[in-house]
Amino acid sequence: MTLLAIDWGLLIEKLVLIAVVVFGSLGIALYTTFAERKVAAVLQDRPGPNRAGPFGLLQPFADGLKLIMKEEIIPNTSNRVLFILGPGLAMTAALMTCAVIPWSSHVEMFGRKIELQIADINIGILYIFGVVSMGVYGIMIGGWASNNKFSLMAALRGASQAISYELAMGLSLIAVLMLSGSLSLKTIVEEQMAQGGLWNIAYQPLGFLIFFVCALAECNRTPFDLPEAENELNFGYHQEYSSMKLGFYLFAEYVNMIMSSAVMACLFFGGYDVPFLDESTLAPNIAAIIGVAALLTKIVIFIFVFMWIRWTIPRFRYDQLMNLGWKTMIPLALVNMLITGAAILWKAGV
Amino acid sequence: MNAIIFSALAGVVMMYSGIITSKKTVIKYIAAIALVVLIAANLLQVYGIWQISVDTRDMLSFEKFGLVFNTLAFTATLIYVLLSGKEIENAGVNVAEYFALIFFVLCGVSILSSFNGLLMMFLGIEILTIPLYILTASDKRNLRSNEASLKYFLMGSFSTGIMLMGIALVYGATGSFALHTNAPVALSATGGIKASFLEVAGMILMFVSMAFKVSAAPFHFWTPDVYDGAPGVFTSFMATVVKAAGFIAFIRLFEGHTAILGPTWKILLAFVIVATLLIGNVTAVFQQSVKRMLSYSSIAQAGFMLFALYSSNDMAKEGLLLYSVAYSLATIGIFAVLIKLKDYAFDDFNGLGKTHPALAFATTVCLLSLAGIPLTGGFFAKYYMLASMVKEGGPLWLLIVAVLFAAVSVYYYFRVIQAMYFKEGTPSVQTEITSGFKAGMVLLAILIILLGIAPSLVLNLFYF
Amino acid sequence: MSTIQILFFFLTALALFSAIMVLVSKNPVHSVLWLIVVFFAISGHYVLLNAQFLAIVNLIVYAGAIMVLFLFVIMLMNLNSEAEPRKHIWMKMAGVISGGCFLMVLVSLVRQATDMQQRTALMGSGNVGLIKNLGKALFSDYVVPFEISSVLFLSAMVGAIVIGKK
Repeated sequence: MTLLAIDWGLLIEKLVLIAVVVFGSLGIALYTTFAERKVAAVLQDRPGPNRAGPFGLLQPFADGLKLIMKEEIIPNTSNRVLFILGPGLAMTAALMTCAVIPWSSHVEMFGRKIELQIADINIGILYIFGVVSMGVYGIMIGGWASNNKFSLMAALRGASQAISYELAMGLSLIAVLMLSGSLSLKTIVEEQMAQGGLWNIAYQPLGFLIFFVCALAECNRTPFDLPEAENELNFGYHQEYSSMKLGFYLFAEYVNMIMSSAVMACLFFGGYDVPFLDESTLAPNIAAIIGVAALLTKIVIFIFVFMWIRWTIPRFRYDQLMNLGWKTMIPLALVNMLITGAAILWKAGV
Repeated sequence: MNAIIFSALAGVVMMYSGIITSKKTVIKYIAAIALVVLIAANLLQVYGIWQISVDTRDMLSFEKFGLVFNTLAFTATLIYVLLSGKEIENAGVNVAEYFALIFFVLCGVSILSSFNGLLMMFLGIEILTIPLYILTASDKRNLRSNEASLKYFLMGSFSTGIMLMGIALVYGATGSFALHTNAPVALSATGGIKASFLEVAGMILMFVSMAFKVSAAPFHFWTPDVYDGAPGVFTSFMATVVKAAGFIAFIRLFEGHTAILGPTWKILLAFVIVATLLIGNVTAVFQQSVKRMLSYSSIAQAGFMLFALYSSNDMAKEGLLLYSVAYSLATIGIFAVLIKLKDYAFDDFNGLGKTHPALAFATTVCLLSLAGIPLTGGFFAKYYMLASMVKEGGPLWLLIVAVLFAAVSVYYYFRVIQAMYFKEGTPSVQTEITSGFKAGMVLLAILIILLGIAPSLVLNLFYF
Repeated sequence: MSTIQILFFFLTALALFSAIMVLVSKNPVHSVLWLIVVFFAISGHYVLLNAQFLAIVNLIVYAGAIMVLFLFVIMLMNLNSEAEPRKHIWMKMAGVISGGCFLMVLVSLVRQATDMQQRTALMGSGNVGLIKNLGKALFSDYVVPFEISSVLFLSAMVGAIVIGKK
């Protein structure tokens, strides 16, 4: 199947994979909004949404429909192009992460070996990092283009928060990379899957903790949802937005949550690995399906933890947030890096 | 390598000294001791007694010329710290950090005196300039200081960008950062030079950037504002040690490359020299503030130092060492007195000859040295520059222009002397003048006169 | 034309167009955003040269961090087209003339650089830019500059604190 020097089979395969992953992520995100409301309801001892469909299962579609049908308002004094660009960027940046996440091992179909990963590039983690750092622009551009002081303040807060926590996140990652010796997420997962290999969480508990806290901050989730602090900033950076553009912003947050859960699962919890099960003895297709299920389970658990935290812990004050990021997280991550390096050196017997 | 490592370490020590003690004077003395250690470590390497040897893969080469320059620069800094230490203490709250930054600058200086590749040169220049941006802004409550720092930073980073572009072009042409690995320059049939055009363009871009760093005209526009806006103590440091280091880097960079640039190079350089002398000297005449006059005079002095680049033979190198010492000592001396005064106007010097005769005498010697009057260090410095140019077969008109402008410079230096001795008034001395300071100034003056009588004191360092 | 060539020309055109837009845009925020597009195009070039690490680091550091700070400052100062100082026509003319001279030099340089015409860039192959080789070069051949640059960063950090502290 090569024509014009392009392997069309590969192209089709990847396109299908992209479509499945993107729509899959969006689907999960859709139901995450529902889950959020349900979890909140459980934690607050009330029934939660239960009218649309059985147990309220159709609620997310109703919400989506409502957002689409609402009147679209673009403020007169706003910067029109950037106003529209903002939510688009936020959503794109959120979705782009999924390109390097290994959803499972390979499947064999139509006589082809299809890797269940869109791109296994040898800078996988850095790619995620790059995309995450692009996510700031969605917030900043949206907040600025609205031409509203509350939006602008929220956007600046969001951006400074994201930059501050990116540093600690990167430093905590370095320790993981020192262990694995590779930047490719696939290799990192496979190393954890190997016989006798433990999940990275066993070696990097502190690293995981730092990464998790930073992930919360990057996703602007409570207790780090300063950009949306409604008591100070009305409604945050998406104050002027309505209709589906608002939907995109809200949605991007959930997609971000899913993606950071997936990354955490891959880096620290063995990715698509099922504990105490030797996948190499199974048929590849079955192993792949089990792998996807395992990864999704881990993601769901993480998302639940995200929500659990949201509905139990109050929001930080801005100076507390910055102090935590710069004076606690970064030194801790540096110490973690130092300890890991020393341990590796000691183990190597130098 | 000793100088680089010890200066960086001294910088770190200074940072910690701020935690240990809050007494500013103690910090000053720690800095002075660190400087003595630094000079000693460098001297050990100069005489081949002891050195930390690091495999630098030919990116640094420690030759006598550079090492001697290190010694001179560190000594000048020591004199500077002893004379103007009080003002560094009063420049702001973060005294320990200012000293740390000064040591980092010295680290940059020692890299620039021994780099053997464009990569190290770039690092050296950055290590040299970044602390300066901060020292310029150290008077945070003063808008002029802020403005000067921002101006310096913006223009400096722009010129760094130009330098990087030049380095990239040279690297593209030769495939290496090394300075002297280029194939011998072949002459093509028509007599032109068959160097890669990319390399030539790269060298020209680097020339522009280096000319900016040493404030040669037409790239001098930042100098008066920055020197004027920065706190006086730090201007003194910037205008002396740092500027001399810039010239060392300049001459190291272009020493082996002038053949590539061909005969046009000399014309280009002659133009820059004349423009620098013209702008520096003529504008200095019209200044009302001594500080601003000195910043224009530093441009004018840069014009003289450029002669070392023009001839770039051994005599020029000797001359450059001598010039750096004479110019640095004299400028440090004048600034040490100037920052004791309230304003920086000429009138502030009125009557200094009567109230503080020792200070007035020392200042006079410094000014005479800057003007290049015989029996002071400045005379031989200028003499060596011009003689090396003549030895290299430089044009006569260039010599005449240089001498003429040296004569012009006498006018504005003598305005200060005239104010000190022939005008009535009370000098607005702001801080108390201790007898130690007076003794230091007189010693400095004696040193300058000694240099003027026996310049071989410095030049012998070069050979023994 | 191979795929790589098509990509190369596309990225080059994009980079040039965005770079011009950076200069032409009246609104500083637009300029910054166009500059980010330039960085993306340059990163694309790096990927074509198989220097993936450089590509992504370029994005993380420049587009992801430095430009965010730029936007920060511009947004906080509320710079817009009206705030831009009006430059004198002679200044503009001088800029155009000197810039034009420089452009002419560079163009003639590229035309006359006959020794460069035989050399071509390694497109899509060569593994110098991969992180493994980069790391090895950094910690063996270039270890001295690598260590010395720590002095640079230290002094920059000291500076940030000196300026930032009350």
